[in-house]
Amino acid sequence: MTVDWKLFADLAEHAGDRHVTLDDPGETVGDALETLLADRPALADRVLEEDGTLRSQINVLRNGTDVEQSAGLETGLEDGDELALFPPVSGG
Amino acid sequence: MHVLGVIGRGTNRETLERAVDRLVDELSTRGRVGVVRYDATIADGTPTVDQSSPTVGGDVTYELGVDGDWLASGTGLSVRDALDALATDCDYAVVTGVAELQYPCVLVGSDGDRETATENEDEDEDGDEVTEVLARVPAVADLESDAVADTLERREPYETLESLVDRVKTSPHADRAGAIATFTGRVRAKDFDDDDRTEYLEFEKYEGVADERLAALREDLESREGVYAVEMHHRTGVVRDGEDIVFVVVLAGHRREAFRTVEDGIDRLKDEVPLFKKEVTVGDEFWVHDRE
Repeated sequence: MTVDWKLFADLAEHAGDRHVTLDDPGETVGDALETLLADRPALADRVLEEDGTLRSQINVLRNGTDVEQSAGLETGLEDGDELALFPPVSGG
Repeated sequence: MHVLGVIGRGTNRETLERAVDRLVDELSTRGRVGVVRYDATIADGTPTVDQSSPTVGGDVTYELGVDGDWLASGTGLSVRDALDALATDCDYAVVTGVAELQYPCVLVGSDGDRETATENEDEDEDGDEVTEVLARVPAVADLESDAVADTLERREPYETLESLVDRVKTSPHADRAGAIATFTGRVRAKDFDDDDRTEYLEFEKYEGVADERLAALREDLESREGVYAVEMHHRTGVVRDGEDIVFVVVLAGHRREAFRTVEDGIDRLKDEVPLFKKEVTVGDEFWVHDRE
């Protein structure tokens, strides 16, 4: 299964990329996040608390919907999912 | 209004003009077209060599006929001012003579093909977006105007406060509307007197999702009792000191609904739409949420 991560703002800068494709993301959004962060320590540092949990202001979307509206990081993945990771929005 | 730049890269004036003509012809079948011709070689004080200029008198001159046809000339206009003026009236603006436009463009000439060797030609080495090239045409015969026009229509339009106000007035319910309220978000150069001046902001958006959220927000606001039309526009990319960033316009039966909906509109836009602001001052560069 393949999923795509889209990264924004300073998260993209910390990751060195705006777009990351994962060929073996795991079963859940949380797995895909772990896979994403595994090779990206600067990004991991930016988005994770010291105890390894995701900082509360970081948003995770699956196909345009915040995962908080489904099962959070336990939300299941499907092939072709588009995931997004971003800090608090700052439009306007 | 959609803005299209036509830029020469190793070509002559005549070829460039023919390319412009082709594009203007195509776009004219789809709506009203404005053309902005910028000539960087015309310096201050040098009279333009244009026999059809109207008789000069005053700082701006309009010559009008009963049929609505007109000629105008004046001083102090920038390309941006010209685009602002066209935005209420035209569906498309074709701009020539500007080397780096923040809008999609067509490159005409033999040097266009050798533009860049990077994989994604729309990004510089920092991965920042530069002008999007819709087509590179060594010769006018290579130009597929209809394809260029189709692609152009899927890009961000150029809107001003006035173009949005004009649009809400075309609502089928405009007969019942006695109020239009608007909000304009602009670049705040300083947060306090001694603050470093903000040179520009740069806005990134989550393509697709931002547009969906904006559309859903608009629908929600329009469904309110007494609200007849809502228009919103948020610029992306670089927005400089002195420029406007975002507009929210509400057409309503009465002022109470208009004011409330405008306020809720901008508050929710800032809260719900995935847009990200980077601030660049003289001494610094930072993503805004980092400082909050």
